[in-house]
Amino acid sequence: MTDITITALPAAPLHVFEIWSNPAVVANRFEAALGSSLPVLGAALQLSAMRLIRYEPTVWLAEGDPAGLAEILGADGSLTAIGGGVVRVRLGGPGWRSLLMEGGVFDAESADFAAGSSAATLIDHVNVRLYVESDDACLAYVPLSYARDMIHFWTVAAKSLV
Amino acid sequence: MNGPRRGGAAGAIRFTFDGRALLARPGDTLAAALLANGIGLVARSFKYHRPRGIMAAGVEEPNALVTVGAGGREEPNTRATDLFVYDGMVARSQNRWPSLAFDAGSVLGLAAKALPAGFYYKTFFGSAKRWMFYEWFIRRAAGLGDAPTAADPDRFTQRAAFCDVLVVGAGPAGLSAALAAAEAGERVMLVEQDRILAPSLVRDPQDLDPAWAEATAARIGELGGRILLRTTAAGYWDDNLITVSQRLAEPGEPPAGGIAQRLWHVRAGRVILATGALERPLAFAHNDRPGVMLSQAVRTYVRRFGVVPGRRVVIAANNDDAYLTATALRDAGAEIVAVLDTRPVPAGATSGFPVHNDAMPLATKGARHHLREVSARVGGKVMHWRADLLAMSGGFTPVVHLHMQAGGAALEWDDASQSFLPGGARQNVVSVGSAASVAPVGPTPPPENPGKAFIDFQNDVSLGDVDLAWAEGYRSVEHLKRYTTLGMATDQGKTSNMAALGRLAEKQGVAIPEAGLTTFRPPYTPVTMGLLAGRTERDAGAHLRRLALFDVHQAKTPIWQPLGYWKRPRAYPQGGENLAEAALREARSVRTAVGMTDVSTLAKFEVSGPDAVQLLELVCATTVGKLAVGRGRYTFMLREDGLVFDDGTVWRLAENRYLLTSSTGGADRMAVHLSYVRQFLCPQLKVSVVNVQEHYAGIAVAGPTAKAVLAGLIGEEVPRHMSAVGASIAGSPVMVLAASYSGERAFEIYAEASLAEPVWNACEAAVTAQGGSLYGMEAMEFLRIEKGHLVVGGEVDGRLTPHDLALDKMLNKAGGYIGAAGLARPGLTAPGRKQLVGLEAIAGTIPEGAMLVTALGQPAGGHVTAAARRVLESGSIALGQLVDGFARHGEELVATSPTRSQSAAVRVVAPHFYDTAGERYRD
Repeated sequence: MTDITITALPAAPLHVFEIWSNPAVVANRFEAALGSSLPVLGAALQLSAMRLIRYEPTVWLAEGDPAGLAEILGADGSLTAIGGGVVRVRLGGPGWRSLLMEGGVFDAESADFAAGSSAATLIDHVNVRLYVESDDACLAYVPLSYARDMIHFWTVAAKSLV
Repeated sequence: MNGPRRGGAAGAIRFTFDGRALLARPGDTLAAALLANGIGLVARSFKYHRPRGIMAAGVEEPNALVTVGAGGREEPNTRATDLFVYDGMVARSQNRWPSLAFDAGSVLGLAAKALPAGFYYKTFFGSAKRWMFYEWFIRRAAGLGDAPTAADPDRFTQRAAFCDVLVVGAGPAGLSAALAAAEAGERVMLVEQDRILAPSLVRDPQDLDPAWAEATAARIGELGGRILLRTTAAGYWDDNLITVSQRLAEPGEPPAGGIAQRLWHVRAGRVILATGALERPLAFAHNDRPGVMLSQAVRTYVRRFGVVPGRRVVIAANNDDAYLTATALRDAGAEIVAVLDTRPVPAGATSGFPVHNDAMPLATKGARHHLREVSARVGGKVMHWRADLLAMSGGFTPVVHLHMQAGGAALEWDDASQSFLPGGARQNVVSVGSAASVAPVGPTPPPENPGKAFIDFQNDVSLGDVDLAWAEGYRSVEHLKRYTTLGMATDQGKTSNMAALGRLAEKQGVAIPEAGLTTFRPPYTPVTMGLLAGRTERDAGAHLRRLALFDVHQAKTPIWQPLGYWKRPRAYPQGGENLAEAALREARSVRTAVGMTDVSTLAKFEVSGPDAVQLLELVCATTVGKLAVGRGRYTFMLREDGLVFDDGTVWRLAENRYLLTSSTGGADRMAVHLSYVRQFLCPQLKVSVVNVQEHYAGIAVAGPTAKAVLAGLIGEEVPRHMSAVGASIAGSPVMVLAASYSGERAFEIYAEASLAEPVWNACEAAVTAQGGSLYGMEAMEFLRIEKGHLVVGGEVDGRLTPHDLALDKMLNKAGGYIGAAGLARPGLTAPGRKQLVGLEAIAGTIPEGAMLVTALGQPAGGHVTAAARRVLESGSIALGQLVDGFARHGEELVATSPTRSQSAAVRVVAPHFYDTAGERYRD
């Protein structure tokens, strides 16, 4: 069995950060306020109190304290809470990439999927978002209703990995 | 079998075959172990129950099919040549009674002339009832193994893999190709169906030292390549997707990690097929007798397994490869009594064996299921040899299955080898090694007794059957296949198709490539259904969706109701109540006091932004723009064709922020619809649509005292019907929407899912204090039917218009909503449409789903969409769809369900049975 830990993390504030107009202006405001650019598709931005993951072309997932984001958006977008419906699961250990291939359709074993990367994919028919914390850990954002079964799925699958 | 058995130790792996305890050596296939134990009779043929032995040494084996394992792990029709023996293995022969040696079914062989190709079609005429009679006998007389009846206890997994290069086949060519790719820095995956690398090098070590294979594999591994043994590339699909089945345990073997097999979905940049070639048998009379084997297979048993299948051996071939078998047998101590070479002198002249040129076997004779004699025509003269083994080789057929599945444009005919070679391909795939090129062969004389010269051993199809099909007018190769069953079943014609094509071409008077080819379809070798199903045979990969409050409900031991992937409480029985009793008590609690239920699964979308109302007025067919902040209203949605596909409520939570709810069952569809509208129909809008279905857990509190309950919970004035307020319950912020689906004053309380449990507990305590109870979906159904509320999937089935559902007065008169144009079609307002009606029983209980007819035997004019009993009074009521139903109130019909033998006389009424004025919503 490959050494993998599967840990459901406590609920955290999660918000949808969506821009509907003037994306360049919002991006400038974001950079001016937070000192970093908005992350591009497939990437995430880790700040001290918040992580921002590009979700869709005009949507980011804001994890953590969203203070200041509403002001950055102004009239060009909105912030909507979704944290109650998402369970964060940390897949730790050197085997997390192999584990994500179980029931998956996404190349988690690619060297390009490095720390700081993010992805949206299906795992065993469940829509899951991924964020690579480090070479030894990946966060999976799982819909609440599927979370218990997914954790069970991963726990069983981990036993079959060698 | 008369020939010498294996020398040396007997082996230490215990297994049984037909109950007989035997021993095998590590690495033995079942076929090798049976031969080593002197067992030559392994199976009975499909149709004539002819005795059959082991013909091949790989996946192409057509004869030696066995059932292996016990209980849920039992696997029928497993090739003994593709099954590695493990300790405790239980194998048994199949399609025989009472025993393999004495099979009563073999009497069919005596009547073989009366049972030719197409026998079923010519014999079993008449009605379907007659066929049921015939089938009973046919199924007992012919067939393969029996499917297991117990559930498979093991698990199956599916896994993705990506690589630059997938190499199929770990022979010398495959290993070389994989090494070259790995050394070029490419991500390499190499799969091999055998359990060892380069098995051909063990058979023919003169080609290359088998140690080379291990060293090469080690180097590939060092370079990051992945090598999977016991793994078969079974299917080749579009975009270089290859499905690969990996055995983690042998058939019937309890898997060490609980997982029996893994299905890999491999996406490859390019694919290299090093799949080798299959040896072809020769066609002559009684070529299916135990002791008649393929030449390379014999060499494999000798060199790889140390088993010499015969002592006195005749070799018959049209190529040079068979001489290698003669050498291997001679080195192992067998006597080569004759080499029958179809080619003229000088073929084999310097081999040192008793070679007979221009020679072709005529027939074999046997005793007690063993080979005893081989006769041949040698240059016009008939000769006979006593022999217990005949090793034959009719040349080689490259394994082009995956190439053709990949969309191979065509196969190229190679006259020298009399085989098809892979040609061009639409995908990035190339064949190498003997999959791309095989050695030339000499002539293959036709048999003198085609009726006994088998070409498809698995289906008992002889050359005589091909001749018969031709004589009866079957010209296409596809028709030939279906008429004779040639090339079907588990081996898919791996050893038979070329012989059949050759015969068909001969009949047509054309070259073989002009005779046509049948289609190469996945899988290359049989794949168990469990592997395709996914995680287990029970859930087929479908997860259960749990409510945020699942554990809270579970503690109350409800009756659960599957709803899509969701599981929702159907009722909470108390004191031995059954479902109906519990549901009625719960519904009456709502009608007379108060009840609460979990409504978390409702679809919920937060729509925000200055253009939110524009989007909502496009999606919803009702007006939205006039909603005041804090107010809500019922709404419904149309498809572009004007038909209703969902309904719900829309709430204005703030100036530019709305909550849209819709049905549970249509939640995913609505999410897709909203995404389509947002991104394609009006990307210019300044609006955000966020699916918050799971963010909020929902609790509905309903009943005459619901208002009092809620007032106590939130400590402030409760909202009036179709109004919304923010509040706090048990310290958690909640959103309270005054909406009803029960006919009573009711409130939906939404809390962030992670904070919902204390809210539920507080509500339950308050409801209980008021004499109320929990209620589940069954009671909810009673209540909503009585009130005449619609349900998506029942009354709203995607075929009715707002008018059909009596919702047309709510339509946005300004138009502009999706479906407005479609709704204007004349056909949607023409007479003869089904319309929503209520039904009340005159006598009996209305069966749900029943047809509505004017009298029994008359055509259906509608159907019952939902039925229930009245909650406080007696009587059966229902909702239904009825042709021109609005104009038929008062008419008496029959609701009949022939499949359940249930009928009830009903009267058509308005679809509201309770509080038709809506007074109970008002404070």
